[in-house]
Amino acid sequence: MNRRASHIILAAAAVLVLVLLAGEAASPVLYSAENTSTAAHADPATVQKRSPGNAAAVVPLMDDLLGQTGTLALTIKLKDYESAERDLARYTDLSRQFDRLVVTLDVSGTDIGEFQQNNRQNQEALATLLNDTRRFDDLQRLEVEVRGDDDRHMAVVYEGEALRQKMREGFSAYAKRETETVQIAEHYDVNATPYRESVEDYAEVADAADDWREEIGGGSAPRSPLGIAVTPDEGRYGDLLLIGGTYAGGTPGAPVEVYVDSRIAETVTLDESGGYAYPYSVDRVLAGSHLAYATAGQVYSTVATFEILPGNTAITLALAEVNGTTVACTGNLTTEDDRPVTLAPVLLRVDDGTLIGTETDNNGTYRKEIVLPAGEHTLKAEFHGAGYPLNASESPAETVTVRGEGLSPLPFIAAGAAALGAGWYLRRRRPEESPLTEPHGMVDVVEEVVETPPRVEIAGLPPRDAATVLFRTLRARLGLAETKTPRDCARIAPAHAGFFERYERIRYAGETPSEEELRAMEKVALGGDETAA
Amino acid sequence: MPSGVTRLQREAWAILLILLLAGAAVFAHVTTTPEEYSRYNTGWNGTSGFAGEEVRDLKPGVTLLILAPDQPFTPEEVGYCRAFLDNGGDIIIADEEGAANPLLADLGSRIRVRPGNLSSLERDHTDPGLFRVQVTGNASLFAGIETIRVNRPAAVEGGEPLLETSVLTWDDADGDGRITASETFGTAVVCAKEGNLTVLGDPSLFINAMLAENPEFIDNLQPVRIDGVHSRTGTANPIINTRLWIQETPLAAAALAALAVLPVAYRFGRKRDE
Repeated sequence: MNRRASHIILAAAAVLVLVLLAGEAASPVLYSAENTSTAAHADPATVQKRSPGNAAAVVPLMDDLLGQTGTLALTIKLKDYESAERDLARYTDLSRQFDRLVVTLDVSGTDIGEFQQNNRQNQEALATLLNDTRRFDDLQRLEVEVRGDDDRHMAVVYEGEALRQKMREGFSAYAKRETETVQIAEHYDVNATPYRESVEDYAEVADAADDWREEIGGGSAPRSPLGIAVTPDEGRYGDLLLIGGTYAGGTPGAPVEVYVDSRIAETVTLDESGGYAYPYSVDRVLAGSHLAYATAGQVYSTVATFEILPGNTAITLALAEVNGTTVACTGNLTTEDDRPVTLAPVLLRVDDGTLIGTETDNNGTYRKEIVLPAGEHTLKAEFHGAGYPLNASESPAETVTVRGEGLSPLPFIAAGAAALGAGWYLRRRRPEESPLTEPHGMVDVVEEVVETPPRVEIAGLPPRDAATVLFRTLRARLGLAETKTPRDCARIAPAHAGFFERYERIRYAGETPSEEELRAMEKVALGGDETAA
Repeated sequence: MPSGVTRLQREAWAILLILLLAGAAVFAHVTTTPEEYSRYNTGWNGTSGFAGEEVRDLKPGVTLLILAPDQPFTPEEVGYCRAFLDNGGDIIIADEEGAANPLLADLGSRIRVRPGNLSSLERDHTDPGLFRVQVTGNASLFAGIETIRVNRPAAVEGGEPLLETSVLTWDDADGDGRITASETFGTAVVCAKEGNLTVLGDPSLFINAMLAENPEFIDNLQPVRIDGVHSRTGTANPIINTRLWIQETPLAAAALAALAVLPVAYRFGRKRDE
């Protein structure tokens, strides 16, 4: 086969291979590592791993929470208040764990979120029941002691009636949540029996209060002179409800304590007409039924109920770069009627994982600066409505690209120092080693490097000694080692071969240079007359 | 000039070497395919690494795997399958798109594949479709195994459940990777059996990237034969088909070998003459 034929075959083969490769270039077979996901599956080797988290703890925690309602209601019913306090503390702790889990797993919009809300209300209801039952016990004892003292007896009866009404209302609300809570529990195969029993126990406690009223003739007990009403009887977040009434026989200026859900909300005074009023702002309070009552000295009002309705919210998120690593997250949290939600917790979810907390100010605005690693990040702001009569909301996802910190100068300083050190080292080594390997090139380099010719003084020296001084001067100027003989020098620096050969004859053949020769050699040695060499 | 000839020869050898390497790359390309589940796909989503002989004719007494079917079964083939099951053969249908449902109906099975986007909160990967399911039924297929890692499976309805997800699983219909108000948590069955028929809602268990995730399950399957007619494992391309035809046809293989030897013989013959 001749050369031409070989070339044609090779060229044809090359073209064929290129054509085939071009046809397959778009195919992912050779680059499949980049194509790691299809509709049917993902490549587990390229999917980022994550901590399993506590997702597995959700259902057991739900079980524990329902179990705790049963235990707590039973101990309240049995009037074992010491155990009830312990049970309540445990229940509160479990509820907190569950709240955190719901937020972390981002499931507040599911039935687990509904379960969480119901549980929160149950916890509050049982805590109130514990306090009321304990107080009711005291009243029962007191009622026996003050029989015969009509004034004190009536005060006890009024308070007992208020407590009884509270318990009755509390039970109604507690029982109302039963169906939904049990349904959710059964969906997750959680044992709802203790919770059902807690509803029964709650009913028994409320019934006991009714029975007591019957015993003391409560059915015919006179109406309390301290009246109370809530107007309007329902409201949403940000609304103002007026809790007020009149105290027949009350002294103007006398203090009246207004309680909302068994907690003192405000102390107001009776006006000239015996009336009192407290504007109650709907703020951080759970949606649902609430109770209000008032006391003036030992006189208790009846119990008024009002309803807090849930409302929707909207949250915004804007991202702004602060510096290479820090991003400022700002936004507003408002209700659907554009009221700012103040002092409310806001969570920033980074890349669907890390949660960073912040809080709105009095204008419903929040701002949080967060440090992020370099790269693209997706952030969302979330409001989970914890404790507010407001539904959860989240902002649209926003993306930010973090540049990262500028390059540290240290590696560059180190590299510069290393380069300088290497240069210095090479410069030191060059005269010793280079002439042996690259004599010609080295001489040129050396001649470029040496800038100032050494000064030389030969006046008064014998001609041969003067020649030796000039030889050493030229050798030094050319950067040649002192160990080099004139012959070595002539070989290494052929441009000055004439000089070195003449010196060799002076040095070894015993010839004596003339004055003229010495002047010529001096010029060469000092670099003044290169051609003379 | 001798030096010039030597340089030319050196260049020719270099080009030849490059061509050989490029040819090897081209061969790797044209004899493989990026098709999902294909046995000729050596990538992560192929089944080249799954040990199972491909069969085109049914013989009783083996386990037949119908993997991600995409071809309909004729009434005659359904009859073969039914007879195969009646004679004690085991059939495993791995499907997540519901393509196997007509076959299941024709076989008289109550099991159905419900395509969806099952996702779980209980997972150790960021992809919500990559999670572990619990072995709940008694089957030799899952003997000695507690959990199986699945990869974007579909739910299976009917039959005796063999694999079940945790209750914190949902069908991520909107595909946003998180559970929203319109989606609900609930347990789903991803594998069920009915007699000798097993339906698995995740054919991804057999792709190359998943083989190492469930080694015991893959071992338990053996020996298994794969239906090469209806399964997507059989997806190839004309070049692969040609290669297979050459491999299966001795005469064609001999002719190809002769074609390769001829130029060498010609070259040596000429040299001797010179």
